[in-house]
Amino acid sequence: MAAKDSPLKQFEVIPYSKTEVANYDISFTNSSLSMVITVAVITLFLTLTVNPRSLVPTRMQLISELMYNFIAQLLSDTVGDNAKKYFPFVFSLFMFVLIGNMVGMIPYQFTFTSHIVVTFALASVVFIGVTILGFVNHGIKFFTFFYIPGVPFYMHPLLIPIEVISYLSRPISLSVRLFANMLAGHTLIKVFASFVVAMPFFTGALPLVFIVALTGLEILIAFLQAYVFAILTCLYINDAYHLH
Amino acid sequence: MANNYKLRDLKKRIDSAKSLNTPPSKKKKESGAGFGFKISTEIIAALVVGVGIGLIVDKYLGTKPFGLIIFFIFGAIAGFLNVYRVMRRIEKQ
Repeated sequence: MAAKDSPLKQFEVIPYSKTEVANYDISFTNSSLSMVITVAVITLFLTLTVNPRSLVPTRMQLISELMYNFIAQLLSDTVGDNAKKYFPFVFSLFMFVLIGNMVGMIPYQFTFTSHIVVTFALASVVFIGVTILGFVNHGIKFFTFFYIPGVPFYMHPLLIPIEVISYLSRPISLSVRLFANMLAGHTLIKVFASFVVAMPFFTGALPLVFIVALTGLEILIAFLQAYVFAILTCLYINDAYHLH
Repeated sequence: MANNYKLRDLKKRIDSAKSLNTPPSKKKKESGAGFGFKISTEIIAALVVGVGIGLIVDKYLGTKPFGLIIFFIFGAIAGFLNVYRVMRRIEKQ
């Protein structure tokens, strides 16, 4: 699909082995490898740094504790009393997206969050989980989520479809935001990188400086998008508890 | 007239003094591009769902093209509703 030296070539999925189960292609690709690396990094980092359990934390232990506190605070601020139950889920989600984005910042490393398949799968897990949670908490009354009180009765045939569409658009906006941010950032860096080579004499240094700045911005976006993913998950969990 | 100016000047001075006393908010200001991006994804997502439902309705009820038209409009309104909710959430912070 992508040409030989296209800025989009970095997003190509390359299967390392051909495996098919019941006509489904489940080959181990560079995308899968990237995810395995991400999970390995998270697991090793969190277990090794917290392992000493020292009362006066080392720098690395402090980083782990900061991440824990960050999500714990976020959850208790948005969800409130029932927050503790969802901490493992939100924390895993946050770390997976965050470290996935960060791993993608390493040159030659594949960024799996720049594929809508991956982000949409993550968003679908959140969406389906939250919907089930809503039904578990409220039973059939969960449908009143789409019913806005205090509106003239003849407006409901119009408002209920709008509310339903608004609800169904959640996983799409959640996944598109993460995917498009990562895709755009990485493409931009590659485009500017091609300018470095193409520009004559020493003027190539100019886009090079720009790339350095962009890389910094990309790291900020990598963090910000993971944060947005986590906070929206928290808000949706909160919605499943408190209708309106 | 002169009084008016004086009052305005005083108000300006009070405001600047107040802003000196209150600590600067820790919340980082979002870039304009990031904000626009957030808003546009909300609208696009709602439109995608609206058009999707419209096409499905048309396919199974054979009401081509009215399902698409009606649900496109619903999708557009839902998009604005999403944007309104995002704005309200930002205001609260």
